[in-house]
Parts: sequence; structure tokens; C-alpha cells
Amino acid sequence: MTSLRTIIAAFLCAIALGLASAGLYGLPAFGHYPGPYGDIINRQGPAERHATNMVTLVNFDYRGFDTLGEEFILFAAVIGAVVLLREHRGEEASARPDQADEAPIPERSEAVAFGCRLALGITALFGIYVVLHAQLTPGGGFQGGAIVGSATALLYLGLGYPAWRGMMRSRVLDTAEAAGALAFIGAGLAAIGAGAPFLTNLLPLGTTGSIVSAGVIPLLNIAVGIAVAAGFGTLFLEYLEETREPESGGEQ
Amino acid sequence: MQALTPLPVALPLAIAAVLLIVGHILPRNGADIIAMLTAAAAGLIAVLLAMAASEAPFAYWFGGWQPRDGVAIGIAFVVDPAGAGCAAFAALLFFASFIFSWGYFDEVHARYHALMLIFQGALAGFAMTGDLFNFFVFFELMSTVAFALTGYRLESSALEGALNFTVTNAVGSFMMLAGIGTLYGRTGALNFAQLGRALAGLPPDGLLALAVALIFGALFIKGAIVPFHFWIADAHSVAPSPVCAIFSGIMVPIALFGAARLYWSVFAGSGLDQAPLRPLLVWFGTATALVGGFTAFMQRDVKRLLAMSTVSHMGVLLVGIGLLSSEALAGAMLYLLGHGLAKAGLFLIGGILLSQCAGIDEIKLRGAGKEFPVTGAFYALGGLIMAGLPVGLEHQGDHLIDEAISATGLAFLPPLLSIANGLTGAGILRGAGRIFLGLGPEPGEEALSPTEEEREKQDRPVWLMLLPVVALIGTALALQAVPAEEAARQAAAMFAATGDLAAAVLDQAAWQPVAAAPEPSSASPIEPAIGLAVAIGLAAFELGRDHLPRRLVRAADRATAPLFIGLDRLHDGVVGDYVAWTVFGAIALGVVIAIG
Amino acid sequence: MSHAAFLLPAWLFAIGLYGVITSRHFVHLIGCLTVIQSSTYVLLLAVGYRTDAAAPIFANLPIGTPAVDPVVQALVLTDIVVGATVTALLLALALQVHKRTGTLDPHELRPLRR
Repeated sequence: MTSLRTIIAAFLCAIALGLASAGLYGLPAFGHYPGPYGDIINRQGPAERHATNMVTLVNFDYRGFDTLGEEFILFAAVIGAVVLLREHRGEEASARPDQADEAPIPERSEAVAFGCRLALGITALFGIYVVLHAQLTPGGGFQGGAIVGSATALLYLGLGYPAWRGMMRSRVLDTAEAAGALAFIGAGLAAIGAGAPFLTNLLPLGTTGSIVSAGVIPLLNIAVGIAVAAGFGTLFLEYLEETREPESGGEQ
Repeated sequence: MQALTPLPVALPLAIAAVLLIVGHILPRNGADIIAMLTAAAAGLIAVLLAMAASEAPFAYWFGGWQPRDGVAIGIAFVVDPAGAGCAAFAALLFFASFIFSWGYFDEVHARYHALMLIFQGALAGFAMTGDLFNFFVFFELMSTVAFALTGYRLESSALEGALNFTVTNAVGSFMMLAGIGTLYGRTGALNFAQLGRALAGLPPDGLLALAVALIFGALFIKGAIVPFHFWIADAHSVAPSPVCAIFSGIMVPIALFGAARLYWSVFAGSGLDQAPLRPLLVWFGTATALVGGFTAFMQRDVKRLLAMSTVSHMGVLLVGIGLLSSEALAGAMLYLLGHGLAKAGLFLIGGILLSQCAGIDEIKLRGAGKEFPVTGAFYALGGLIMAGLPVGLEHQGDHLIDEAISATGLAFLPPLLSIANGLTGAGILRGAGRIFLGLGPEPGEEALSPTEEEREKQDRPVWLMLLPVVALIGTALALQAVPAEEAARQAAAMFAATGDLAAAVLDQAAWQPVAAAPEPSSASPIEPAIGLAVAIGLAAFELGRDHLPRRLVRAADRATAPLFIGLDRLHDGVVGDYVAWTVFGAIALGVVIAIG
Repeated sequence: MSHAAFLLPAWLFAIGLYGVITSRHFVHLIGCLTVIQSSTYVLLLAVGYRTDAAAPIFANLPIGTPAVDPVVQALVLTDIVVGATVTALLLALALQVHKRTGTLDPHELRPLRR
């Protein structure tokens, strides 16, 4: 039965590949994007919004509503992971790592600890830089938030579990994530309050090239950055907690 | 009034975020109250929007980005009675579900309520959007929340079901994304109206077939159409009952609503001729109805039975949509409403069984429901509605669809669909007799099916759980009055007016009123009679097995065994097989469209 | 060879699907889903590409320089987040399944065993 499955799978996927390739020939030739959507934005974006990164403009201004949905997809997925892992495990777990066998746990090497502590500050700073320069250079809330999130992993590697667990409070992370999502929607609803359609960019546009420009976009990016960093932090927290020994009397 | 357009989406999402922040300091049941009020408020706003759009649909451009020279640069919601009505309907189901789940979750963090509110916002956005990528974002948001909610009860098989559900639907999401990429590459547009205009000027080619196969394939996965439907029984049997009510009541049908929206806004008038598409969709729908009906009949787990009956009714819904006429579309809309109300009520009854009788296996629960006569009565009523009872919204919709079928000359199809629906009704009636009346000691083919020990939280008052059931099934029956049908025909006509909608959205042209779909003739009694006969007859046969002559029973079993065993083997729970069927189905879709 | 670049996403999608269908370990299956994801990114980015054009960042470029399409890049950003979240959920599910049943073989994990 297994090899029959393999043959059928290969057959189906080969047919799908052939048909898809044939269909894709209907696209314009590679390298000849015809427009008009991208060209309009490239032409008018910088003047309209005093920004230089068109991708961020599309993400947070022209198509900001999609990004709101995306933010909530992340939000919902993190809640889901928390429900699946934390609510079953319970809030408490011991600090001892759970072991598959009786082999001794190797000590964390000093080079790793030192290197991670060094890299930690630089990474976090870089992440914040990426968030703040969303409308100027490549980057934005999502990218910067992910970088800061990975800095939390470096935190664990550099400082060890007890110190890391002390710093990563799940309540703080949950609140930060929800607050980021709420700030995004709040900005949209505030626009309605001011009489404009949802998520209209109503703040003063500033001068092109400065961090404070393009209206509400820097604020949205900071909100998203906080939410994404907190979200990734929560995910790391949940996954790492799974590797700990359960408290006596905990779940089997 | 138009300024309120984003609220059916933004309000539930915002309150969900607030609930996460303050959830742990709310008083007991505070989250339940806040969730109910939010659901109701969002629903009321959606109703107001539907009324505001009843004369003419309007477009709401987010961020204030109006289209320039017929090119859309922002995202639009196109509000018409059908879309806003769908959002309002979703709100009603969520409200009922929140009443049902009052006190269900002992938790202190309001995560369930937050997830459900996000779900409601996503469904509302999906129903009202006029932009293809926004359509995908809300599709993905509703999927992600559904994945999270399915794994909520952490008993053993709950998680395998959630895994199968998540993997198959994730494949669907990527298919849709690929389809959007190809359409964008071809036309440079993401707005429905602009896409429709761009595609109308292009010759049909393999690219269009590829895009339709990918996007419709993804929607059919979510919409539980054969052969994309395998995930549904696994997912429903493991999700908590109020969540199942939402899944079958609105999440699965809304995917087909989205397919209809895509057809009428984007593909109608393109080179994609009606000729290959209409019979393709009608045959997919018929196959779905029959496979769903037979598979439902052989289930012993009540939730799996109801899930497969959803498959069967989605088949009928697809036939209604697939006829590609506004009369059939009106029938499909009514059918969606009627089926959603009744199916949600039936799932909530399943929840009552899980909570009060500690089980969901029809055979093990025999006689356990004798203390719940009202519940039993409504369960039987729901079964009759599923079978085609000639009262209520689902019947009205069925009738309009059957009329439209007859207009195309396929006179054998309506009875066939009635038989399929009758099979689902038979399963439910058999369950009603066995569980609530204690009949039928000997199980038939349902003994073949898988089952599981489960229960849900016990100490909730039955009257509180019964309240939404009564409301939902009652509404499904009582809302038959003529206004519902007329509203549906108007809404369908507006939905289908592709060119006028495009002009209104992109050029801000004034709306020319369109003629409503024609009034149907009076309902024929044949189809309901067939459905009810099949349902009551089969249920009686099953329940009375030990009173009937042995030879008859054995002969019937032997004749039908290959079918039931085959169906059971197909639904084997291995996710790789499910995905293989999905690929096969998508290839079939694409090839037929390309060749036709 | 004007369309050769589009064969890559088709191939990635097909090989990812093959992996999902024949997988014997759920973490491997999640990896195959990631491959399918990547194929959609490549498709979108390829669709918006313009030969010899600059990135749509006008910090040092004069406005009006030919640039690639920023819209698909924004769409891909959204997709990456969507893909990451689905992967996170699936991994959490797989973790729990393994804790309870000790196996991650799809052929052995069937909902509702008899």
C-alpha cells in the first residue's frame, strides 16, 4: 500500500507540475512587469506621503487594511499556540530540563555565553533601528519585530534558563502583543472618529527622510514591531517551557 | 451610515485584543457578556449596512484611497445586501454560540472569546470585501482561528483531527495564494471590479484555467466539496460543539459564497465561458451531495454524522451557485441561511448530549436522552429540515434551486438531490429515535464507523443550552414569509450585475436598478416527499431492524456493504491521502475548464 | 526562455506536495509545507520583477527611475507572516501529539481509532 501511495503521489504531482507550467506560460515574460498598480505607487508615493520605502507605504498606507488582518493572523496564531501548550502544561514548570535519557547535560561553553551576550545588544538595537526606519529604508515593523524576537533567543543562549525565565514574563508579553494589535486598530478607528475612512493617514507628513515622517506610518510600525517581538517571544517561551521537567504532580 | 462599514470587522477584532489584555481581571462570566454584546453590536451594524445597500450597493475605500482612472490603488469593501446579510447572519450564529458556551470554559483568560470574536470579524470581512488579496487575508484569518479553536479540547484524538484540518487547509491557502499571483501577473490588478474588466478583455487561456483551478480548489477545500472534503469529519468531531456550530453554520458555506462572489465579480464576462463551468460545478455539487449523504448515514458519532451532512448540503449549495443564474443564486442564499441555522442548532444539541449524557456515540447513547424530550423533539425537527421538510428557509431555497435546475433540462437532478438530503435526514432521525426514544437495539452499518469517548463540561443548565437551539431552528422554520424570498431575489440580482457593480465601484457611476430574479412558480411537492420518504423510511428500517424479517435485513446489508465499507476506507484519517485527493480534484477542475 | 523563471515555483509547489502526500513524519510534513509556501513567494516576486530596474526605495534614487513592483513585495511580506504563523501552530500541535501518543507518523495517527 505504501509504494502504491508513492507512485500515485508522484504521478499526480507530475501531472500538476506539467499543467501548472503550461498555464504559467500565459503570464507576461519574466522581467517585463507591465504595471499599472506598482508604477502608480512608485510614481506618486514619495510625493504623496513623504516616504522613500514604497513597500512600507503599500503595506501600511495604501493596503494598510491587509496588514491589519495579517497582524491579527499572527495574534490569533500565538493565542492558539499558547492555548495548545501553556493551558495544558500549567503556568509552573521547574527549571530543570527534561531529559530523554540519563546522559549528563553538557555545560554551556563560556564562548557561547559571551558571544551571545555581545550579539544580544547589537541584534536588539538593529531590530529597533529597522522598525524605526520603516518608511525610509528596507524594513518595517514585521521585520524589525522578528529581529528583536530572535534577540530573545540569544538572551536564552547567553544568560541561561533561570535568568531568561525571570526576564520573560508571560503576562507582560501577552499584554504587549495585544496592545500592539489594539494600537493598530485604534489608529484606524481614530481616523473614523475624525470623519475619514478607516486607517486614513491623518497625521502631519513631516519631511522626507526623517524618522518622523509619513504621518501615522512610524507609529503603526512601532505598534507592529512590539506586537511581533512579543509574539515571537511568547512562542519561544512556550516551546522552551515544553522542554522543562513538569512540576511534581503535573500533567503526564 | 457608510462610515460604519469597517465596524463589523474592526469592532470584534478590537474587543478581542481588549479581552486579552483585561481578561484576567474580569469578573466571572464577564468575558461571556462582553463577547455577546460585541457579537450583537457587530450584527446590528451589519443589518444597518444591508439596509443602506438595499437600493444601491456602495464601495468603501480604506485609507481614503479612491480609484484613479479606473485603477484601484487601495482596498475596497463592496457592500451589498448579500454580503452584509452574510455578516449579520454570522453575528447571529456567534451570539447563539456565546449563549450556549456560557460558563463552558473555566479559564480565566478569555482566550476562547477573543478567538471567537476574531473569527466573527474575519467572516464579516470575507463576506464584504471587494479586493482579492484582502479576500485571501480574511480567508487566512478565519482559517488560523479555526485551527486554533479546533485544538481547544486536548483529549487525544482531538489533536490528530486538528492536524489533518490544519494541513489540508494550509495547502488550500497556498493554492489560493498561487492563484492570486497568477491573476495579478496577468492583469496587474487586485480589485475584483478591475480584475473583472481586465479579464473581460483577454482571451481565455491556460492561465485562466490554472487560476480558477487553484482559487476555486482552495475555496472548495474550505467549502467541503468532494473530493476536497475529507478534513471536515475529523475537524468537527474534535472541536468543541459551539465551535462546530460556527464551522458548519457559516464558515464552510461562506467559502462557497466567496466562490460565487469571485465568479460574478471577476470571472463572469471573462473568456471563461459558462459552457464548461456550469456542468462542472453542477456535477461536483451532485457528487458531493451523494457522497456526503451516504457517508453521513453510516456514521455513529453524532458530530461526524452532522459534519458529513454538511458536506451533502454544501453539494446542493454548489449546484445552486454552479447554475450561474441569478434565480438559482437567490435559492442558494436562502438555502445557506436555512441550512446554517438548522445545522448550528443540531450541533448545539450535540453539545447538550456531550455535556449531559457524557457521550456522542449514537449506539452507546441509546436511550440516554429520554430525560430530554424537548431536545429530542428539536433534534428530530432538525433532521426533518435536513431531509427537505416543506417548511422554512432551506426548503424555499431548495425550491428555487430546483426550479433553476429544471430550466436547464436536467429533470432527474432535483429528485437525486432530494435523495441525498433524505439520507442525511435519515441518519439524524435514526439518531433521534435511538438516543431519545431508546429504539433500535441492533446497529446497522453505523457499527462500522469510528467513535470516541468524550464529554464536555457538565454543570451547565440545560435550558440555557437549549435556548439558542430553539431560537436557531425556530428561525429556520419561521422565516418563510414572502419578504425573505423577495429580498433574496433582489440581493441575487444585485450580486450578479457584474458590469454595473464594476462601474459603481471604479467609476463612481450612479446605480441603475436591476430587475430582481423572476418569481418562482409554486413549490412542487415531489422533492420534499422524496426526501422525507427516504429519511423516515430509512430511519424506520434502521431502528426496526430486529422486528423485520432477518433475510430482508441481511440482504439489504449485503447489498450496501461494499459502498459503506468503501466510503469508510476512503475517510481513513491519513492526511497524505487527503492532500492527494485535493491535488486530483484541482487537476480535474483545471483540465475540464481548459478543454471546455 | 522568457518564462523559464516561472517553472521554479511550479516545481517547488509540486515537490512540496509530493513530500506532504508521502510524508511519514509530521515535522517533515511541516517542512514540506514550508517548501510550498516558498514557491508562492517566488511566484509573486517573479511576477513583479523588471529587468535592470532598481528596488522601490527612493532614498537616493530620483523618482521616476524604473523600479520593480512594490505591491508584490508587500504581498510576500504578508505571506511570510501567514506562513510563519501556520508553521508555529502546526509545530505546537505536533508537540502535543507527540507528548500524548509518542509517535508523529501520519499513518499511525488517525483520528478516532476504532
